[in-house]
Amino acid sequence: MGVYSGLYNTFFRQNTTMLATVFLGAFGLQLAFDSGSTLIWNNINKGRQWQDIKAKYVQNAEEEE
Amino acid sequence: MLTPSAASGALARTWTRHALPNAVRSSAVALSAQQRRNVTEVAASSSFDSPFKGLGSSEKTTKIPSFSHYKSSGNEESNKLFQYFMAGTFGAVTAMGAKATVQDFLVNMSASADVLAQAKVEVDLASIPEGKNVIIKWRGKPVFIRHRTEDEIQEAEAVDWHKLRDPQPDSDRVKKPEWLIMLGVCTHLGCVPIGEAGDFGGWFCPCHGSHYDISGRVRKGPAPLNLEVPEYDFPEEEALVIG
Repeated sequence: MGVYSGLYNTFFRQNTTMLATVFLGAFGLQLAFDSGSTLIWNNINKGRQWQDIKAKYVQNAEEEE
Repeated sequence: MLTPSAASGALARTWTRHALPNAVRSSAVALSAQQRRNVTEVAASSSFDSPFKGLGSSEKTTKIPSFSHYKSSGNEESNKLFQYFMAGTFGAVTAMGAKATVQDFLVNMSASADVLAQAKVEVDLASIPEGKNVIIKWRGKPVFIRHRTEDEIQEAEAVDWHKLRDPQPDSDRVKKPEWLIMLGVCTHLGCVPIGEAGDFGGWFCPCHGSHYDISGRVRKGPAPLNLEVPEYDFPEEEALVIG
């Protein structure tokens, strides 16, 4: 009960604080969404991306020179 | 009983006999007979259920419905918090989508990576000996790179620049005094000046005879401004990046 009313009074009671909370939440949500989707993508395509095979080719290029 | 088509047929037939009032009356009678329908017949065939069905007595119609079934079992504070949380989350997601939409349009308008890669030129300065000019192409325009000698630097700095047409000290035009980098486009009408020529030991534009000194400042002729200095940087001691 006390936790609920405390949360309500901190974040939602005033319109300005609610707006600030919403925008900050949007920022955090976007960060989480972007990094999370990138993580999933990298997991699915593991071993097939340039960042995974770069070491091999960069070493070879240096050996050729 | 007359159907409408039969009535109109009768109407057409009687028309030639000029018995109009009589025919109209007969068809009107037929229509009214058709519109009149038995109420019991409707009630039997309709799928609509009366809201007062089964409420015979007046006591039952005054019964107040109970909404206790819809009432939340939780307390007010947690319900309020949950509702505002849902509304706020929806707002946050909407803001995210709006931001992504606007950003996509703006990113679409900015320069792409291949354009940015072409916009820069790297020059190895170690291959340019002292007292030599090098002309390279950058964004479709020539760029003069002059490795100036000690004498030329002193000459450029000794000029009383306050009295020039486009007053500018030599220190404003170079980052390192021995390297003079500027666009090789005459500020008059856009010809390419010739290096190591002219009355002032710098550049000379053959089109209309503008003379530039060893700092690229206009000294004589129709050109209104000094030769333009592009953005450049020295990332290493002997390397130059223009753009």
